[in-house]
Order: sequence, then structure tokens, then C-alpha cells
Amino acid sequence: MQLNSLKELENWPYILKVNLTLSISFLILTLLFIALVLVLRIVKNRREAYRIKFDVKLIDFYNHFLFDEDFEKASQLGDFKFRHLKTSFDHKLAIKQTLIFDENLKGESSEAIKELFYGLGLYAFLLKDLKKKAWFKQVRALYAFSKLGISVPQELVAPLIKSKKVELRQQAMLYFLNTSKENPLGFLDDLDQELTLWQQVFIENSLKNFDLEVPDFARWFNHEKSSVVVFCIKMVVSFNQFQNIPLLIEALDHTEAAVRAQAINSLKIMEVPDALQLMSANFPFETPANKRAILYAIERIGTAKDLRTLVGCISKEEENLQIDYYKIASSFEDEIPVQKLIDLDTITEDWEEYKDYSLRLLQGA
Amino acid sequence: MNRKILVIEDNPMVVKSLEFKLKKDGYDVVVAEDGRTAMKLLSEGHFDLILTDLMLPFISGNEIIEFIKTEYPNIPVIVLSTSTQEDIITEAFTLGVDDFITKPFSPNELSLRVKRTLAKV
Repeated sequence: MQLNSLKELENWPYILKVNLTLSISFLILTLLFIALVLVLRIVKNRREAYRIKFDVKLIDFYNHFLFDEDFEKASQLGDFKFRHLKTSFDHKLAIKQTLIFDENLKGESSEAIKELFYGLGLYAFLLKDLKKKAWFKQVRALYAFSKLGISVPQELVAPLIKSKKVELRQQAMLYFLNTSKENPLGFLDDLDQELTLWQQVFIENSLKNFDLEVPDFARWFNHEKSSVVVFCIKMVVSFNQFQNIPLLIEALDHTEAAVRAQAINSLKIMEVPDALQLMSANFPFETPANKRAILYAIERIGTAKDLRTLVGCISKEEENLQIDYYKIASSFEDEIPVQKLIDLDTITEDWEEYKDYSLRLLQGA
Repeated sequence: MNRKILVIEDNPMVVKSLEFKLKKDGYDVVVAEDGRTAMKLLSEGHFDLILTDLMLPFISGNEIIEFIKTEYPNIPVIVLSTSTQEDIITEAFTLGVDDFITKPFSPNELSLRVKRTLAKV
């Protein structure tokens, strides 16, 4: 019977044979895929059940270690490590719990948590990860070290500041910020890539929220990366480093427009009228955004006369700048023929008229 | 007889640590992981002190404090929270809490504050 069926199959047309083969292959593939999904699901569930059990064990052990005065710490630590910390997964769970305990407890418990960290071999485990090539392992290790404020040999972290992986660079910065109380921004010296806005924000937050030694930011005013200079100029304002005002004025001549823009804004916020002369001299050669920034700086720290000296430097095509100019002139209570100026169709001709009018005022006519 | 403390907290690690530490100090500890459970437990038994977080599932910590201060005005309440914002702390004290402890907390300091609060009752 079976032989007959096979013989019949041999007599099938070629196309039907191909069809049958493909259908069987597809069916096998589907079954394999379903089996794989089921296996992965079972593994995940078993892992999760193991995690829950192990977390309870860890929390119980940590609580005894931290709060039980009769607990024999040294022997129990070795025993727990030997009996329970066998796989990489066990170590990762222990690291996670250590971080949670550290995040929630302070005082004498913080020291005891560090004792646990070393005693359970978590330091050694993470140090191995830090030496590995896989960037995500290095990031994880740095994250734990920075959260716990634990220092590792400098030569292991310093090269990571220059890593091509932004996540790794960022974590290395966080590490230095959290572990180097006296020179938390020393890593900026070695930075060979731009600081992202996000990195600037978290560095500033770290400086403000933690008890860190705030450096003199002028140290990085000549840094080769303009974003570092921009960040440092911002910080001069944030931390009221008035002694750096002369250097901020010098930054108005910087080759990078972004640095000049930050210098203009910072000098405006710090209210330094001495900077206006250089700002006005640079005005004709500035970018449109920086010209606008200079106008607003004059509004805050200058006079109507300072503003009028720039009227000749704004061409009739620079309509956006003209509008800003009018706004600022009106804040100086200059007599602007407002009705005419709000008409966008005639604004260019009006600007020529207004320019003459301003120049006459400047010459005292 | 041991004094009974109701801990309202949803972080398993903090719950376990508080339970362990307070039991070591000689108190009976009952845990509620959210506001609803806390209200149910309060209606079922007597407590000498309540230790609560502010960020809780279902019902906020402030709502629970308000409920406790209306229904059980004699039970002292200590807040254990990550909030350090002045307005949040002020609001908690306005609602009538007896003490405010911020996380991360020192377990020994917490013990002392619990002891001191219970001594006032």
C-alpha cells in the first residue's frame, strides 16, 4: 500500500512534486519556529521564577548583614558567595540588589553595602567586565562603579572617554563625576569628541546636585572642541565666576560662531557693559543669529545710542533683524513710526527712512 | 505586648528592610503594598504607628494621610519618601504627619524617629 503510494508519487508531475516539497519544508520550518518560541518562553519563565526566588534570598541575606548584630558577617559572606553566586546571572542579580540597597539606604549602611560588594566578589566580577571588549559590559560595570562611588584603576577608565560609542563615553564621564571629588571635570582634558547637549546637562546637574569641587572653567576656554568651550562659558555664568569676565570678552573673537554666541549671551546675563564695544565692532561680520544676540544684549546692558551705532550695519534685506531692531528701539522709547513699520510690504523702504532718521539722531541733528 | 506598625510601601527591598529592622527593634510589623490594602487593614485592626510612602499605586500617599487623620486621628504617621521638594514636605506636615524622612534613609535614624514618635503618643 505504502509502496504503491510512493510509486504514485513518482508519477506525479514535476510541478506538483516541487509544491509538495516546499509545503513540507514550510510546515517543518513553522513547527521549528513554534518550538523555538515555546522553548524561549519556558526558559524566560524559569529564569524569571529563579530571579524572584534569588532576589528574596539576596534581600534576606543583605538585611541580616546590615541590621542583624548577631550575624557572623565574615563567615556568612564567604558561605553565601560559595553557595549561591555561581553563574554570571547570579552575579548580575546581586549587583542589581546592591545598587537598589545603596539607592535607598545611607549612613552606616552605605559602608556595609560596599563591604558586601567587595565581599561577594562583585567588584572583581565587574572589573573583569570592564576589561572586556564588549562595550555594553563596560557600560554596565562603569554604571555600577559610579553609582556606588567606587574607584577602579585610572588606566582602565581613562581610554573609555575617547570611545567611539557615545553610551560608553557618557558612562565614563559619569564615573569620573561620581568618583573624583577633587577634579570631577578632569576628563574634559582628554575629550576628543564634541560634548552633546544631553552630556552638558547631566554634567551641570551633577555639579549642582552633588557635593563636588567646582573647577575654574576658564581652564578649558582653549579646548579644541567648541562644545566644551561653549559648555564652560555657560558654567561660568551658572557658577558666578566673575573673575573670568575678561576671558569671556576675549571669546567674542573666537573663530567658532557657537562660542561667540554663548559669550554674547553670557556677557548679557552677567551684565558686562564693557563688552559692548567689541560686540558692536564685530557686529557687521557676525552671523545673523549672533547679530540678533548682540541687539538683545544691547537692550539689556546698553543704551539707545549703542543701538543707533549699529543701524548702518543692518542692510535692507535683513528684515528679521530690522524687526528685532525696532522692538529693541521701542524699549528705549525711541520714536518709531510704528504704523508704517508693521506693514511687511513696505518694511524695506521704511527701513531706509528709519536708518536716515536714526543716523540724524546719532549725529545730534 | 509589642507595639504594632503599619508599613505602607511598594518597593519590595524597602519593605523587607523596614520589616526586618523594625521587627529587630521589637515591633510587630504589618505591610500594605498599596493604599487600598492599607485602608482595609486599618479597618480590621489597631495600629500604634503608620509609616508610609507618598508615591503609591491606586491611592496617593497624601490621600491616605488625609484618610488616616480623619478616621484615626490618634495614630501618628511618619512619611518615608524620595521627595525633597519643600512644597511636598510642607503639604505633608499641613495634612498632619508627625515626621518626614527622606530616602535614602539611615535605618538607625529611622529607628530613633519611630521610637521618639511612639513615645509622644
